Formats: sequence, structure tokens, C-alpha cells
Amino acid sequence: MNAAPAYSLGERLLTIDNVSVRYDRPILDGVTGHIDNIRRQGLMQGQVVCLLGPSGIGKSQLFRCIAGLQRPHSGSVRLNGSGREVQPGEVGVVAQDYPLFDHRSVWSNLMLAARRHGRDAHEATEACLALLKKFGLTDCGLRHPMMLSGGQRQRVAIAQQLLCSSHFLLMDEPFSGLDPLSKTAVCNTLVDVSTSHELNTIIVVTHDIESAIRIADQLWLLGRSRDAQGNPVGGASIQETYDLAAMGLAWDPDIESRPEFHDLAAALKARFATL
Amino acid sequence: MKLVNLMLPFAPVRARWVRLLVAAQVAAALALWSFSGYRALPTPGEIGGAWMDLVRHQDLLAELWVSLRVSLMALGLSTLAAVTIACLSTAPLFMPLARLAAALRFLGFAGFTYVFMLVSGDAIVLRVAILAFGMTVFMVTALLADLAAMPRGRIDHCRTLGMQHWRITGELVLLGKADVILDLARQNAAIGWTLLTLVEGLTRSAGGIGALLLNQNRYFLLAGVFAIQATILVVGLAQDALLAWAKDIACPWRTLDKEPSAT
Repeated sequence: MNAAPAYSLGERLLTIDNVSVRYDRPILDGVTGHIDNIRRQGLMQGQVVCLLGPSGIGKSQLFRCIAGLQRPHSGSVRLNGSGREVQPGEVGVVAQDYPLFDHRSVWSNLMLAARRHGRDAHEATEACLALLKKFGLTDCGLRHPMMLSGGQRQRVAIAQQLLCSSHFLLMDEPFSGLDPLSKTAVCNTLVDVSTSHELNTIIVVTHDIESAIRIADQLWLLGRSRDAQGNPVGGASIQETYDLAAMGLAWDPDIESRPEFHDLAAALKARFATL
Repeated sequence: MKLVNLMLPFAPVRARWVRLLVAAQVAAALALWSFSGYRALPTPGEIGGAWMDLVRHQDLLAELWVSLRVSLMALGLSTLAAVTIACLSTAPLFMPLARLAAALRFLGFAGFTYVFMLVSGDAIVLRVAILAFGMTVFMVTALLADLAAMPRGRIDHCRTLGMQHWRITGELVLLGKADVILDLARQNAAIGWTLLTLVEGLTRSAGGIGALLLNQNRYFLLAGVFAIQATILVVGLAQDALLAWAKDIACPWRTLDKEPSAT
């Protein structure tokens, strides 16, 4: 049994307070959660939270609320302990199709994001060059998005969002349809992003339980409550959370070789069926 | 390549074969036309002779220039109007106006010509106004359909980058749809040539190739009619090729293919 790495919790970074969304029926019903800054001695340790839940449960609605793209019908999402609700542009969003402006080159896509964050031309250029280098995209600056491979496109989309968000990144199904090697590459990219700044916070919406355990320090299970007959009732809420940091399962590059990894994956799969 | 494959739908074919097929079919059509005993159409030789006659004695090229100017002015005006209406349509207040503009495509020019005549007071301006009106309504229809099909994720993407309102419209419609706009302008240019005869028929005294065509047609000078039609076809195709080239230059991303590269 590996000893859990030492860490402490700092200031509150994100608060989801009793968020509800309903249309013709309740979609989200009192979703509540928070993310605190994780501190590890001598390391820049960001936060990775994976939101797991079955299809159609309301993950996309919650995703939009956290991104500030949709106002919940009640409740609020706040950043950095402020009383102000999250605004569009404060949280970076990388959708499943890795949206980029196809009519702009990679460089132009990045500069657009960098300049919109209030940097002057010199600062924006420096920030873009640094990210291109970090993501191994230095040769891609002049290409248009449709000339990129899927992995390159994803990295450019992440870079674009990092340039204009305030350390928060939401990712929708980043592992969808990928082979095992590509999944590992995406996991490495996300870990790399999360550990490049103390306040970097990534929220990943996914179905992929194994990949989620590999990268997350917290797992949130979104689902609906059940009545006595086992029928789902009301809107979705966070049914269960797993603090992988406290369980000693976070930040371990060899986690897949540990029996606890497989036990947790099996338990989550079983739990998934009842969400 | 087996010749039988040319008969199969979606069979892959080399560009060389396509060029060969086009040349062979054009040659066959011309031969059939020239040597057929059926005399409903003038022969290519008669049309060529009529074309030379029109150039020498009826200022065909000068009339063509008059029409080309009208066509280009109308194309520019209609593109500007349609893009402006499409951009405005992204705001709910202006959506009814855009829908109305699109609905007008079902109407003919009857009645409108009188209104345009009163407003313009000049034959060339009248032609440009009517042509631009005819083109704009179709372009607005196509642009509105394209904008309606735009996924919400595109707008969300702009918002996540901190863009708001008209900045989003500028990015997604003006820049993001530049290729669509240029494609529609190509289509509009073709529509313009088909409407030209109708429009120039309203004010024949101002000249133009459409007016010349109507005059030839009135006296049943079929060789002259087809000579003018052939001229319009050649100019139209050249204009279309020019606009396609302009689109490739302005929107290079449309012609880019994925390059194989590692993840």
C-alpha cells in the first residue's frame, strides 16, 4: 500500500451552490460542490476534478452553468471565493469537437485569445510562443486547424482557452473515441496543464472511469436519486464524491499497476449503473 | 483503369480521365450539332458568322461592357445588402426584417419596377437596383439557412473567449462565413446574367447585351440569338472562375487537406 502524498487545502477556488436547472422537467436539482486549492510542498499542484455520470443526466447543463454560458434557474457558480457569479470567458471550455476558428491560422487563433485577455501585442506574442512550445506545436503556428491531427487540434484548443481564462479549464469528453495510446497522451497533457500553475483547475466531464481515476484528485458522480421502487426521481445532483487525494490515489503515474485502482474502477462501474 | 468503371457511381477517376471525357463529349456534341440533318438550331458555323456580324455592325463588345458593368455593380450591391441583412438578423429585433427580405424571393418584378423607376430616374441605376433586388433576396435566403444551421457550440466558443454581441457576429458571419458569402456571390453572378435580359428589356434604349438579345429574338435571328447566348455563357464562366479563384485566395482554409501527422 502506497502512502498518500502529503498535501493541504488552501483557499476556495470554485463554489457550486445549490444549482438547479429545469425546463419541462427538472434537469439539475440542487447541485452543490466546491474545489479548494491543493498545496503540495515544493510542487506546483493544480486541481483536476472529473465529473462522471451516464448519458443524458445533465452533465452538459452543469458544464454550461460552470462555464457561465447558462444562468441556472436557481443557485450560483462562483470563482475564487467571490460573491459574483461566473461570467463567460472566465472559465476556459474545450468542447468535444475541439472548437477553433477554421478561418484563422493556429497562431491567429491563439493571438485572438491572448489579446482578448488584455495583454499588449508583445505580451500576447510571448504567451502564445510559450504555449506553442509547451504543447509541442511550434511547427504548427502557420497551419490552419483543419491541417492538424486530432491530438494537435485538442492541444491548440486547450492552449487557446488557457490564454484567456483565469486558470479554469472545463473539458467535455476529452477521451471520447481515442485509442489507449492517445488516451495516455491526453492524460499526460491534462496533468501537465494542471501542474504548470498552482491555481490551474481542470474539470473533466467524462464517461471514461479508468482515465478519470488516472488524472483526478476528486471524482464527482452526477446522478438522480431513486425512489423505493428504484425509479429515478427529480433532477440530477452530485450523488457521491471520491477524494482520491485523501485516498492516496492521486498524482501517482503508476496508479494502474495498483490493485486499489482496479477495485475503485470496478466499484465505480457498479455504482454507475444506479446513477 | 477499366472503361466499365466509368459507368459506376462514385467510381474513383483520375483528373486526366475527366478532362478526356469532357473533351470527347464536347467534340461529340459539336459533331452531332454540325452534321445533324435536324435544322431547328443554327449550325456552329452560322452562329460564328452571326457573332462576327454582331461585333462588326452592332457593337456587341461595347454592349457587353454596358451589361458587365451593370452586373458587377448589382453583384457588389446585393452582396453588401445581403451580408448586412444576415449580420443584422443575428439580433432578434432585425430577424423579422431578414425573414421578410427572404420571403420576397417569391415575388416577380411587376410593380417594383415602377417604384424603382420613380426612385432611380436613370436607366442604368434602375437596372442595377432591380438586379440587386433580385439577387439579394436569394442570397439572404441562403445566408439565413446557413446561419440557422450553425451549431450553438460555435457561439459558445466565442463567448468563452470573452467575445460579445456584434463581435461574435463579426467573427462567425463576416470572417467565418467569408467562403460561403463568396460562393453565394458566384451563384448570384449567374442569377444576374439570367435576369439581365428581363431587366434590360425594361429600358432597351440604354443598350446592353440583354437588349441586343431581345432585339435579335424579336426578328427571329436565331443565329444572332445563340451567338449572344454563347457570349454570355463564356463571360459568365470566366466571371465564375475569377470569383472561384478570389475565394481560394481569400479563404485558403477551404482548400486545405489534413496532413498526416502524429498525435
